[in-house]
Amino acid sequence: MLFVLVAIAQLFVPAQMILGEEIILDTGTAYKFRTQPIDPSDPFRGKYIVLRYEMNTAASGDSLWERREDVYVYLKKDSLGFAELAKVSKIPLAIENDYVVAKASWYDRNKGEVHFNLPFDRFYMEESKAKPAEDAFRNAQRDSLPNNTYGLVYIKDGDAVLKDVLINEIPIADYVEQ
Amino acid sequence: MNSKLTKELPELVENEVISKDTATRIESYYKSKRNDNPNRLFTVFGVLGSILVGLGIILILAHNWDVFSKTIKTLFAFVPLLIGQGLVGFSILKNKSQAWKEASGTFLFFVVGASMAMVSQIYNIPGNFSSYMLTWVLLCVPLIYLLKSSGLALLHVVFATIYACEYGYSYGSNIPWMYLLLIVIMMPYYARLMKRRSKSNVTSVFNWLLPLSLIITLGTFIVRFDELVFLSYVILFGLFYNLGKMPIFENLKLRQNGYLVLGSLGTVVMLLMTSFKWVWKDVYGIVRSDMGEASLVVVLFVATTFALIYLFLKKRVEKANLFHFIFIIMSALFFVGLTNAIIPTIISNMLLFALGVNAIKMGVDKMHFGVLNYGLTIVAALIFCRFVDTNMGFAIKGLLFVVVGIGFFVTNYVMLKKQKNKEEEL
Repeated sequence: MLFVLVAIAQLFVPAQMILGEEIILDTGTAYKFRTQPIDPSDPFRGKYIVLRYEMNTAASGDSLWERREDVYVYLKKDSLGFAELAKVSKIPLAIENDYVVAKASWYDRNKGEVHFNLPFDRFYMEESKAKPAEDAFRNAQRDSLPNNTYGLVYIKDGDAVLKDVLINEIPIADYVEQ
Repeated sequence: MNSKLTKELPELVENEVISKDTATRIESYYKSKRNDNPNRLFTVFGVLGSILVGLGIILILAHNWDVFSKTIKTLFAFVPLLIGQGLVGFSILKNKSQAWKEASGTFLFFVVGASMAMVSQIYNIPGNFSSYMLTWVLLCVPLIYLLKSSGLALLHVVFATIYACEYGYSYGSNIPWMYLLLIVIMMPYYARLMKRRSKSNVTSVFNWLLPLSLIITLGTFIVRFDELVFLSYVILFGLFYNLGKMPIFENLKLRQNGYLVLGSLGTVVMLLMTSFKWVWKDVYGIVRSDMGEASLVVVLFVATTFALIYLFLKKRVEKANLFHFIFIIMSALFFVGLTNAIIPTIISNMLLFALGVNAIKMGVDKMHFGVLNYGLTIVAALIFCRFVDTNMGFAIKGLLFVVVGIGFFVTNYVMLKKQKNKEEEL
């Protein structure tokens, strides 16, 4: 019966979404990306914080970057587990490093740098906590010198899942409650 | 109105306007018609209830409950979906009433969205809002046909429009081709409605919703070749006007025929805009073009021409009615505008004036005050636009106003004289 097929498709899409994310969380590599949160909201999916990552520029000799073009961002890890930029490219490269696909925003001709946005920039939060999260970040920023807020991201074969956002090693949802 | 009519029946029989037999037949006709009504009310309330509950579930899930673990949240993503599918399956299997089908279908529509939203929330999937909408709508398309549900078809059009706006207007240069596909998918259902229930309320809603949706989204298809925007809208309104005159819409009231009303109003608004010189200055100053988008306008033009030819073959074109042909004239003017900005401006003004005067004349001839006032409004709007137009010198403007004003006096005088002559002849 046709309806059964439709029902299966309707179940399959969210199930497939879950499966894809779980595989990355299970077998992907974890990176920490330094970030700052701001809170907007989505009519269907509720409150979230947008994460503005510090990693948003890379030197590139190629000046012909178009807006919203794919940027392959290759990564390496420092001793504390924070992600560092290895290389950017317009096409996939045959190197060992993990990578994510970001979107180009603009090219700075003076500095020879391409600006880009990392794709995992949404972190959903309970609606009462999104705005305090933004404030908590600002306060935490005042206390200690370097940026100590980061997104914990699992990466596998170019796909990424944002697992949590942490301030001073405490998950942001718990941090807000303190 | 029906009850009013049935109340009049005894009086009509008494005065021998109609026979007793006719009276009973009229009465039984309306009685049988009224029997459908409670069912329709159930359907409407059922659909409204489903929309509210469905949206409520989405909102409750959107709270992003921290207290629940990932497993429980995942359960929340699937339980409403399974309930919705169960209800729809039940109404199909047991062949329940249309009210059941509409209500359960609408509920399932919303929980499909809720389920995907929930998964996005659990895994912080960077939501591209438009692709989320597209997946959602596509997953629910078959339900329209399986349940023969008008409620779902309406939701489909509304959500497809939101998708096209999200995709086309908010990210810049993206053309939402999938929107066209979504509309085409829905067409067989609409055609069936038009054929079987052309006068029902649902069909009238479609007759308004579809052209409105196309009007809203047309702008997303022309992003690089801005100067074509006004022309494409003129042609689209021409298409709607000509469609509205098609034989299938003939017996509809004006309020049931969104194509005709929107086509006519849209044409007037576009002409009001093109009666200013700046539009044509833009056309005159075209520096870059985009063949893709130009060919889109050509397709639209061809479709409209076909509609006009069809009307012509069916002898439905009123030759004196300029509204049928505005899109051709404006397309020609566009090419004139490439070399000259003044001539098209003047012609646009004249066209609008002719439309207004024509409508006034039609209103007077048919003693139809709606049409008369429409004509007066067109002329008044034209006058207002010219009055505030800063592109013309005050002296020229003043002279123009006086000349047109005197023109009205003279026509009035001539018409009055004619009428008097006629009366004297009698």
